[in-house]
Amino acid sequence: MKTKILLEEEQMPKKWYNVQADLPSPLDPPLHPATQKPVGPDDLKAIFPMELIRQEVTTDRYIDIPEEVQDVLHLWRPSPLYRAHRLEKFLKTPAKIYYKWEGVSPAGSHKPNTAIPQAYYNMNAGMERIATETGAGQWGSALAFATMLYDLECTIYMVRSSYSQKPYRKSMMHVWGAECIPSPSTKTNAGKAVLEKDPDTPGALGIAISEAVEDAATHANTNYALGSVLNHVCLHQTIIGQECREQLAMVDDYPDVVIGCVGGGSNFAGISFPFAGDKMSGKHKDIDIIGIEPASCPTLTKGLYTYDFGDVAGLTPLLKMFTLGHDFVPPAMHAGGLRYHGDSPIVSRLVHDGVMRAVSCHQSEAFDAAQTFARTEGIIVAPETSHAVRAAIDEALKCKKTGEDKTILFNCSGHGNFDMSAYDAFYAGQLVDYEYPDELIREAIGRIPKIQ
Amino acid sequence: MKRIGLIINPVAGMGGSVGLKGTDGNVEEARRRGAVPRATERAKIALAHLAKSTDLAFVTCSGAMGEDALKEAGIAGYRVLYHYTGESSPEDTRKAVRAFLENGTDLVLFCGGDGTARDVFDVCGSDVPLLGIPAGVKMYSAVFAIDPASAADLVLACDRHHLRDAEVMDVDENAYRAGTLKTRLYGIARTPALAGKIQAAKQVYEEQDEERAKAAIAQFIDEILLQGTLYIIGAGTTTEAIARRLSIKKTLLGVDAIRNRRLVAADCDEKTLLALVEKSPDTRVILSPIGAQGFILGRGNQQISARIVRRIGIKNLIVIATPHKLAQTPHLYIDSGDAALDREFGDSIQVISGYRIAQRKKIHR
Repeated sequence: MKTKILLEEEQMPKKWYNVQADLPSPLDPPLHPATQKPVGPDDLKAIFPMELIRQEVTTDRYIDIPEEVQDVLHLWRPSPLYRAHRLEKFLKTPAKIYYKWEGVSPAGSHKPNTAIPQAYYNMNAGMERIATETGAGQWGSALAFATMLYDLECTIYMVRSSYSQKPYRKSMMHVWGAECIPSPSTKTNAGKAVLEKDPDTPGALGIAISEAVEDAATHANTNYALGSVLNHVCLHQTIIGQECREQLAMVDDYPDVVIGCVGGGSNFAGISFPFAGDKMSGKHKDIDIIGIEPASCPTLTKGLYTYDFGDVAGLTPLLKMFTLGHDFVPPAMHAGGLRYHGDSPIVSRLVHDGVMRAVSCHQSEAFDAAQTFARTEGIIVAPETSHAVRAAIDEALKCKKTGEDKTILFNCSGHGNFDMSAYDAFYAGQLVDYEYPDELIREAIGRIPKIQ
Repeated sequence: MKRIGLIINPVAGMGGSVGLKGTDGNVEEARRRGAVPRATERAKIALAHLAKSTDLAFVTCSGAMGEDALKEAGIAGYRVLYHYTGESSPEDTRKAVRAFLENGTDLVLFCGGDGTARDVFDVCGSDVPLLGIPAGVKMYSAVFAIDPASAADLVLACDRHHLRDAEVMDVDENAYRAGTLKTRLYGIARTPALAGKIQAAKQVYEEQDEERAKAAIAQFIDEILLQGTLYIIGAGTTTEAIARRLSIKKTLLGVDAIRNRRLVAADCDEKTLLALVEKSPDTRVILSPIGAQGFILGRGNQQISARIVRRIGIKNLIVIATPHKLAQTPHLYIDSGDAALDREFGDSIQVISGYRIAQRKKIHR
């Protein structure tokens, strides 16, 4: 029985899969923050290159991956699919557990899958610099790596608390030649406004997004890049799920359950959209697609499906998505990459329509699963990824009860080699189990975010 | 140079080992039962950690109330500001602390239990920080370090920016000996931040400071207040922050009731609360765990009795606490005096700790 299921370089998918083509009805359009009218390509031109705007709205089922992008992706792709024999044995489950290992990329996560094409299209459009934000540093380091390859400058607004507490992610960005600024900063009006109100703020992803968007909008040579949420980002990640489908076919298998952790939704989209397509087309109607999120930031499980801003300042277009309100600053748990008030509009739509479902867990439960995984499969996963491990183990334990031999596939989205202090806190019994007091919020306000 | 006032209650803790549940007014009985003084030894452990520091200037009392321990710990250059004779008394403690404060003192470091804490607090109030080296029988107050060595670390770390509010508790010793724990919130002192020490710098998540956290909790409570519902607000500074946000004057150490953002009754006893609850179909209770042990019910908020909680229903209890305080209290306790009611709470409880943020905390049995 194989442990690693590997594709040859030439077997790497040459097209991204666009799940928008298979939605029963079109997505609700993003709305302009000022007029609340649907945004057109012209509204986005100030911060995105035209090709990415096209990818954002297209309903073509497949989009070619440029050869120059494929060349770079070959540095680590196709990524391996593992059969978790040791974990299965430990759990004594009849289920078959597979995990797609995205931690093999230079930045250590799935993020470069979209950082590379985004940098490429910006270079093609004649841009000289990209501004972006990063929470825990995964996206920032991925984009630093990508912009370096295409000789672009890169400015990264890093949430202040992570900036001081995750110094090695910052170091990676420097190695790859990017400028990393703690956010809120005095470089932007959005940052200044926050600092005036609260000079000691630890910062938040929503604030950093406002800063990066403002930077891009006010500099002609600069565009903005987002590491999750948007349709084109999810599109670029579908290479993950497509590879998985090929790799499982090599061992004559197909998943009954597909799992990913959800913050903005891109790694979950990456592994699940190709399978969601199979489900919607009727080829595999019974596949169970599960997104798992932290109990402290339960956007899909406790949020409201409505239009909301993507950032704190209200500069971004309004997106129809599950949201906890753009003014909600999630608590500072260790899985910083899952601290986002909203979610990908496509993931939101698919959850809303019942194509996918969402669950949540406390961070101590996630770390407990991550420990089991490290002690069976060896890999020490990122705190974000530990949530996916939790869901996979839970599903496998359900199979143990029912005796079903389901095939479970999860996205092992990144390594936790720079997150060891989080593991230390777990062992010191210092992990706080944050949760979202949704009952109090619901009964008092009726609806969570209010778009002014 | 940090000016430290050191005071030791030489007989603190003596009653504990011989089953007296407290030493106040019982020193002779404790001695008769074979108890030996231990406070000086406890103080010496803390002082030994401070002996090398050149940044501290001690003032203290004569003999067993401080001087002996300093001498034995190898600390020189202290000044004795208060002399006592015979058996030391609470009045000696208060007089000594008064002498420290008149001389200018940045922190009163005392060694004792809840009784000593109250005597020191009587003089310091919330103006001058105090810190306890734990040596008493009962330590329900939140002004104690977890052990003598930690007390030393806190003395070294103590500055104006690392202080927090801490409850001083009044335990009725006679009732306690008779088997019932009657406590009330005696006052709110300032004390060096304990969790800052316990949570080492390696913690990845940011630490919110106390005032920011209280303001965030108050903002959330403000957002969820329902029109027409009666809110019973428990004691303490976390609940006081809510009142401040609503521009209501709160009884810091007592229980108030509000409706439609207006004060309905201040400093209520159980009877007043019951009468209010009778008339109000929708009532909620907002309270914060009290004291070092983290009691939600049964300590410092006894006006909110089991009878009242039953009437209102436990689902209408909103518990609030700052992350800092929760970090210090791994478990919460409920001791309403009605064991069946206590059990209804289950194994864990949701505690609001920020704006739209809660923590799931274990309840200890």
